[in-house]
Amino acid sequence: MSADAFLFWFLSLLVLVSGLSVVLLTNPVYSALCLAMTMVGVSALFVTLNAYFLAGVQLIVYAGAVMVLFVMVLMLFDLKHETQAFTRGKITGAIKIASVGILAGLVVGAITIGKSLENIKAVADNAQAADTTKILSENLFLKNVFGFEALGVLLLVIAVGTVALSRSKGGTHAK
Amino acid sequence: MQSSDILSTIGLEHYLVVSAILFAMGMAGVLMRRNLIVMMMSIELMLNAVNLSFVAFSKFNNNSEAQVMVFFVMTIAAAEAAVGLALAVAIFKRFKEVNIRFFEHLKG
Amino acid sequence: MSSMGTTGFEITVNLIKTVLVFLMMVQAVPILVWLERRGSAFIQNRFGPNRVGPLGLVQLLADAVKFLNKEDFVPDKANRFLFYAAPVFALIPAAIAYMAIPMSVPLIIGDSKFLIQGYEVNVGIVFILGISSLAAYTILMAGWGSGSKFSLMGAMRASAQIISYELALGLSIVGVILMYGTFNLTEMIQQQQGPLHFTGFGYESYIPWLPNWGIFFQPVGAIIFFAAAFAESNRLPFDLAEGEAELVAGFHTEYGGFKMLMFFIGEYGHMMIASGLMTTFFFGGYLIPGLTPNDVYQMGLNWFGSETGANIFNSVAHFLSYNVKFAIFLWIFIHVRWTLPRFRYDQLMDLGWKTMLPWALANTIITAAIIFAANYFVL
Repeated sequence: MSADAFLFWFLSLLVLVSGLSVVLLTNPVYSALCLAMTMVGVSALFVTLNAYFLAGVQLIVYAGAVMVLFVMVLMLFDLKHETQAFTRGKITGAIKIASVGILAGLVVGAITIGKSLENIKAVADNAQAADTTKILSENLFLKNVFGFEALGVLLLVIAVGTVALSRSKGGTHAK
Repeated sequence: MQSSDILSTIGLEHYLVVSAILFAMGMAGVLMRRNLIVMMMSIELMLNAVNLSFVAFSKFNNNSEAQVMVFFVMTIAAAEAAVGLALAVAIFKRFKEVNIRFFEHLKG
Repeated sequence: MSSMGTTGFEITVNLIKTVLVFLMMVQAVPILVWLERRGSAFIQNRFGPNRVGPLGLVQLLADAVKFLNKEDFVPDKANRFLFYAAPVFALIPAAIAYMAIPMSVPLIIGDSKFLIQGYEVNVGIVFILGISSLAAYTILMAGWGSGSKFSLMGAMRASAQIISYELALGLSIVGVILMYGTFNLTEMIQQQQGPLHFTGFGYESYIPWLPNWGIFFQPVGAIIFFAAAFAESNRLPFDLAEGEAELVAGFHTEYGGFKMLMFFIGEYGHMMIASGLMTTFFFGGYLIPGLTPNDVYQMGLNWFGSETGANIFNSVAHFLSYNVKFAIFLWIFIHVRWTLPRFRYDQLMDLGWKTMLPWALANTIITAAIIFAANYFVL
C-alpha cells in the first residue's frame, strides 16, 4: 500500500471515529473536543486532496475559532451531568436511526455501484498541483465578487446581532 | 474490481463515502441528541462533510469553483454557530437548562 | 511521501532531523529559564540563582530533579482525563508549528538536499497560524479540568484573549504576504537579499547601506505582529490569565510538579515561534546583512576548497546568523516581561479589538493600495 493510501485510510478512520464520538458521548465537553479533532482530521484530508490553502483556513476558522467558542460556552454552562442525553421514545428513536441508515445506504450505494461517476473518473487522470491559491483567489475576487461582498455584509450583520442578543446590564462600561 | 485495487488506489468514491458517512452521523446527532449545543455541533459536522465532498469533487474534476463554494459554506457556518451560541446563552440564562425537552412548548 | 526524500539515506536523515528540531525546541527552554531568572534579577537589582553550578547554570537541572520527585496528585473535583491531557497537549501545537520555520540555507551534500527545518510547508504561514491557534484548547482543558472556579475564570479570560489577538496577528501579516507574493517562508527570506531597493512608480532606487529587510517596508505590521505575539503566548504585559496577584496562577493553579513544567515548555515554545516568525518576516530570517548566500558560498570555496566544505560552511554560518537574531528577540521578550506593568482585562480586550484590529486593517489597505499604484502608475 502506498503512503498516500495509508494516509487516507488512517485519516478517514480518525475522522469517522471522532465523528461517531461526537454523537455518542454523553458529556458535551468531550463531544466538543472530539468535534475539534474531527475538524483537524478533515483539514488533513484536505491536504491529501491538494487543497493546501483550504486546509489552513479550515484549521484557523473551524478548529481554532468556532470550536473554541463552542468549548468556551459549554465550559461556562458547567453542566454537571446530562439528565437525558438521547431521545426518549424507543419507537421514534428506532425510526430515526432506520431512516438515517437508509439514507446513508442509498448514498453509498449510489456512489459505489452506480454509474454516475464514470465520466468524472475519466477526467481525473491528468490532475496537476498548480498554484491553487492564485486560481482560487482569481475565482473568488473576479467572478464571485458579489458573493464575497455579500459575505462581508452578512458577517457585519451577524456581529452586530450577536452583540445585541447577548447584552446584559452592568459591567465595566455601564452607564 | 480486485479488492487490492479498492484498498490501494484512492479514487473519488472513497472520499465521497467518507463524506456520506459523516453526514449520516451528523444527521443522527441532530435527530437523537437532546442537548441544544450538541445538536448545533452535529450541524457543524454535516457542514464539514459537505465541505469534504466539495473539495474531493474539485480535485477530481480539476475545477476550482468548488473550493470557492467551500469558502462560502465555511463562512456561513461560522456565522451561524456564533448566532446559535448567543441564542443558547440567552436560553440558558432564562431556563438554567439546555435540554430541549424543557422547551417543547412555546409558552414561557 | 516524496517530500521526505527518495533514497533510504535521505529519509533516515530527514526523520532524525525532525526529532532533532523538536528536541532543540525543548532544550532551549532551560536556557531561556536561566536567562529569564538571571536577567530579571539584574533588572531588579538583585542576584538571582547563583549557588548551583557556575553562574547558576545548573539551577534548572536541579529544579527538574525536584519536580520529578514531587507527588503526582489530581484534585478531588477534577476531570481526570482532561487534567492529565492538558499539559501533554500544551507541547504539541508549539512543536509542530516550530518545525515549519526555516533556520538556514539547505545543506547540499552530494546529490541530496537537506532543509534545515523540520519539514517545509508550501503554505507556510497559513499552516503556522492555524496550528498555533490550537493553543486555546490546552488552556480550556486545563482550566475546566481542574475543577476550581479560579482556574475556570483564568481559562476563560486567557482563551478569549487568545482568539481576539489571533485576528490582529493574522491581519498584520497580510501586508507582508501581499508584498512578497507568496506564503512560503523560504521564498520570503530569499526575497530579502541584497541592499534595500524599491521598485515602482517607474523607477528603481537603491540604498546600499541598508539590507532589504521587511521591517523597512512594513514597520506598522511589525509592531502590531510583535505586540499580538505577546498576547498569543500569554506573556506580560498580557498575562492576566496567570496574574499572580489576582487569580493565584490562573489556569495552571492546580498543577504541580512536572505537569507545570510542561505548560512552561509550551509557553516558551510559543515565544520561540513568535521570535522565529519575527526574524523571518521582518529581519531577513537567516540572511547575513550585506552578504548574499552566494557570496558566503564563494567564501567557503576559497577557504575550504571542496564543495561539501563550502556547503557546510554556508549552512552553519547562516544558522548562526539566524540564532543571533532569534536570541535578540527572545531577550526582548524577557526584558519586556520585567519592565512593563500588566494590562487590566477590559483594557486588554479594548486594545485588541479597538486599536490593533483597525490599525492592522488600515495597514493592509494602504499596503495593497501602494503595491497596486506602484505597478500601475509611472511617475
